Amino acid sequence: MPDDAIAAHALAKRYGRIGALQDLTLRVARGECLGFLGPNGAGKSTAVKMLVGLVRPTGGAAEVLGKPVGDRATRARIGYLPELFRYPDWLAAREVLAFHARLLRLRDAARAIDTVLDEVGLRERAGDRVGTYSKGMQQRLGLAVALLGAPEIVFLDEPTSALDPVGRSDVRALIERLRARGTTVFLNSHLLGEVERVCDRVCVVDRGRVVAQGTVEALTGATRGVRVRLDDGWREFDCAPAEIPDVIARLVREGARIHAVEPNQTTLEDRFLALVAHA
Amino acid sequence: MNVVLFAVLTLRELVRRRLVAAVALLTLVIVAFTAWGLHRLATAVVDGAPIADAGVRGTAAGIVIMLAFLFSFVVALGAALVGAPAMAESIANGEILAVLARPVRRAEVVLGRWLGTVLALAFYIAVAGGLELLVVRVTTGYVPPQPLTALAYLAGVAAVVTTAAIALAARLPALAAGIVSALLFGLAWIGGIVEAIGLALGNARLADAGTIVALIFPTDALWRGALYALQPAVFGALAANANANGTVVNPFSVTSPPPPALIAWACGWVVAVLAAGVAAFRTRDL
Ligand SMILES: Nc1ncnc2c1ncn2[C@@H]1O[C@H](COP(=O)(O)OP(=O)(O)O)[C@@H](O)[C@H]1O
Ligand SMILES: [Mg+2]
Repeated sequence: MPDDAIAAHALAKRYGRIGALQDLTLRVARGECLGFLGPNGAGKSTAVKMLVGLVRPTGGAAEVLGKPVGDRATRARIGYLPELFRYPDWLAAREVLAFHARLLRLRDAARAIDTVLDEVGLRERAGDRVGTYSKGMQQRLGLAVALLGAPEIVFLDEPTSALDPVGRSDVRALIERLRARGTTVFLNSHLLGEVERVCDRVCVVDRGRVVAQGTVEALTGATRGVRVRLDDGWREFDCAPAEIPDVIARLVREGARIHAVEPNQTTLEDRFLALVAHA
Repeated sequence: MNVVLFAVLTLRELVRRRLVAAVALLTLVIVAFTAWGLHRLATAVVDGAPIADAGVRGTAAGIVIMLAFLFSFVVALGAALVGAPAMAESIANGEILAVLARPVRRAEVVLGRWLGTVLALAFYIAVAGGLELLVVRVTTGYVPPQPLTALAYLAGVAAVVTTAAIALAARLPALAAGIVSALLFGLAWIGGIVEAIGLALGNARLADAGTIVALIFPTDALWRGALYALQPAVFGALAANANANGTVVNPFSVTSPPPPALIAWACGWVVAVLAAGVAAFRTRDL
């Protein structure tokens, strides 16, 4: 499909004997949010670095916005938050952004910079040197750099790894705003809750190989049964989703005091742990 | 265009990191110190009479050459210590990742870092070298034959060492790239001495070995250009005489400027090594 934001065919990277990523075949439609999940060392960062042109594939091919990876003009239309980075501590956040704005040849740079500073909540401290920033603030600056110039695709490599719970929920809200705007999001993460909440689709990698791909619902499976908390604790009842109200009604008729009801669903975490369980 | 952006970034870092301030302060101290020493020389009284003008100038000429020699080491070390991190630091701390994901050519990063470093060093050479020569002139009245040519040759030394440091730093960490390029400068200097000894002793093998080193790392040829431009004609004549007799080897005087072919070689060397650095950077994974 010419309309894919990202299309990878058997993309692979070897570092000497280590197959960092093997045979990644993947499509991300425009406007989609893909969660790229995997334990540490699975090959997530390697995949993103190949897609933004920092690492040369040793096998396969990939296209971003219809152009081969690394295409220079296309790189003006993508944003990238690396996993590990430190900005020069002698520059202010605003200066880091101004430098990137020049590399992007942004016309109204001052406005674009204010927009992304607001987006990540760094406006008040934007004039301070990065050397005085906490790790979380540096991460926010990295996000601001990735969002500068309203890119069509944003690659986020573990965006919440340095953030506190408030920061994490801010990033989730940010990703939701990006999706609402139609921006394609490629989200690397090992935080399942995060991916489950914001992503349309998930690709699970382990030790360089894709082990599962699909919508969150497809991966977690349909709801089966219900968990109910009674006076003496949680009890499970096996039933189809449509039968849940009947089960509850019967319990009430029988005089049970019901404190809580939860559909019994495999979480993405259960599924993930099963997929990457190493023999 | 992007080359200029990276060059400006490099220069801005030097200013912000207070390197410029620290170096300026130290240079002023050294200049003041030489001014004081030369003033004492010019006004010294020996056996109840001031030293003759010719004596003062001759001594000043020797001091200028000694100072230039030390200065060439400072400049070479500066090039290694500024050039290598200018390239390697942003790779080591991951800052380059987001930058290279922009519509930027990797060559622009290498050339910009090179340009920024060479400009900073050229500026330093012009200011510090110019100040020293001015002090010599004011205190003793001595002006070397071709002061500007000498400074240009020293800038050439800086450019060669910077080129090596940046090309190495495209693949190596800052410390390794800096140390190796500084060592190469030292090696070239030793090569120059070996060549001079070979010439003095009429030993063709020694002389050839020195020449080969001069071709591999052309800083010594440029240093001799600076030396030739600074020494009064009489020094060169003395050196020629000594060489002819096969007696004394004086690494602080030369009989002729480096041949144009050697200068062309040095320029070609810079272009080729820089191109190799660009190729090394373009083909690496980050
Ligand atoms: N530059 C490199 N040289 C050698 N091995 C590497 C390099 N980068 C990554 N690897 C290896 O490739 C594998 C995948 O790494 P990475 O993509 O960083 O994983 P993830 O981001 O999923 O944690 C790991 O085994 C890692 O050690
Ligand atoms: Mg990673």
